[in-house]
Amino acid sequence: MAWIDVAAVADIPDGEGRAFSAGGRLVAVFNCEGELFATDDACPHGQNAKLSMGFVEEGRVECPLHQSCFDLRTGKVLTPPADADVRVYGLKVEVGRVWVDV
Amino acid sequence: MNDMTTPAIERVWPELGGGRVPAWIYSDETLFERELERFHHGRCWSYVGLECEVPTPGSYRRSFVGVKPVLITRDEAGEIHVLENRCSHRGAPVCWRQRGKGKKDLVCPYHEWTFSLSGELQGVPFLRGTRPHPGMPRDFNKAEHGLRRLKSTVRGGVIWASYALDAPDFETYAGPGVLRALDRTFPGRPLRLLGYSRQTIPANWKLYFENSRDPYHATLLHSFFSTFGLYRADAEFDIQPLDNGHETIRSFFASTAADNRSEVTDELKSIKEGFALEDMGVVTPFDEFGDGVISSLQLFPSVMVQQHANTLAIRNILPKSVRETELSWTYYGYADDDEEMHRRRMKQGNLVGPSGYVSLEDSEVLAQLQPVADNYPDSVQVIEMGGREIGPTTTAITETLLRAFYAFYRREMGL
Repeated sequence: MAWIDVAAVADIPDGEGRAFSAGGRLVAVFNCEGELFATDDACPHGQNAKLSMGFVEEGRVECPLHQSCFDLRTGKVLTPPADADVRVYGLKVEVGRVWVDV
Repeated sequence: MNDMTTPAIERVWPELGGGRVPAWIYSDETLFERELERFHHGRCWSYVGLECEVPTPGSYRRSFVGVKPVLITRDEAGEIHVLENRCSHRGAPVCWRQRGKGKKDLVCPYHEWTFSLSGELQGVPFLRGTRPHPGMPRDFNKAEHGLRRLKSTVRGGVIWASYALDAPDFETYAGPGVLRALDRTFPGRPLRLLGYSRQTIPANWKLYFENSRDPYHATLLHSFFSTFGLYRADAEFDIQPLDNGHETIRSFFASTAADNRSEVTDELKSIKEGFALEDMGVVTPFDEFGDGVISSLQLFPSVMVQQHANTLAIRNILPKSVRETELSWTYYGYADDDEEMHRRRMKQGNLVGPSGYVSLEDSEVLAQLQPVADNYPDSVQVIEMGGREIGPTTTAITETLLRAFYAFYRREMGL
């Protein structure tokens, strides 16, 4: 596990997610009312869906493809059709930069 | 004039109504559509499958009610559902495999609309659009766009379905006589699926329905029967015509049936002295139900349930067009059959099916009959064997079941 600088905080608008390459993976970083979270970008449902293109609300991200919802903090799957949790990553903000622990 | 495009409403049943059947009922396309609407897609119950075909949560099996494709699922909680196999989006079939296990949801191949195993719409790709473009309208409510659910019921391990949510309950629909006959071979003992046969018969579905309630032809068309004594024209029968489109036929076998002869059987030219099978096991019934009875039934419009010796099967009669029918056989036994009974059932299964020793002539005759009916639509069939009335009888040499069927049919179809 290593901390990697992926983006400026300003790169991630409130209520949205963005995908970044970090440590050989695609990581999604979300801004939910000013708080930032990081998960795998690929939806565990396995249909080539990008969570970074999903809908962010109330601490959850909804996959754009089949609307499976995941808790941004824990990665826990909240609604079907996905039945597996999404992996979450440690995140810190330093000097306006977002660092993710991959 | 007398062609197949004359609308059904102009058709008039011939005089001597009860003992006559007009051939146009086998070729009139408008009538065929009306039958489907009134019966198969209406307030009737149709067979769709067996519980043992969908044994575990996530298992599924495609089937038909009338001509409409349906899907049987068992959900995570173990409940059975019968759903239309038609995506609520653009009408593609949601499930493309005939049967299987381990599904977590139903995903339509076309646009990946995703449904739960009970048919609820869960996932619509890009429901919310792709920034900045809108997706579905804000008032699009997934709850209104699930897969259509049929009314379904399970009895004795058999799954039945109806399109009519207000259909009478299954027990009322079947009636006590048919229910008794059904419960006899589906008493709730776990079933064992033995296999399938499927065949396309180029004939109207009613011709098959008639054929399997026509004991008169049995020893005449199926020479295997009388040659090997499995079914005898002079055996004692219990035939109950009903006014609801169903029927039950029982006969009483003696284990020495193959040895009993009478002037009736002597007349049948298919009996040959000393002509015997090397292995008589294929025609020797074992009295597994302990009542000495061979039984069959029809539950209108979709099944004939057979017992021939110890080969048990459901014959699902599936209309495809006015002159084409799929006959789909499901062979079963019981999970607690011993090895000897299992082998007996498998061997005796050769009696039936598309190339069965006693079944193959049925589809051959009907395939020949259909084009004749097509080309002589105003010809009339005579069904007066046993008289012109309808009533229970104890002989196989009767057409009372055909008269009962057409009395029911005319009443329901307004003919």
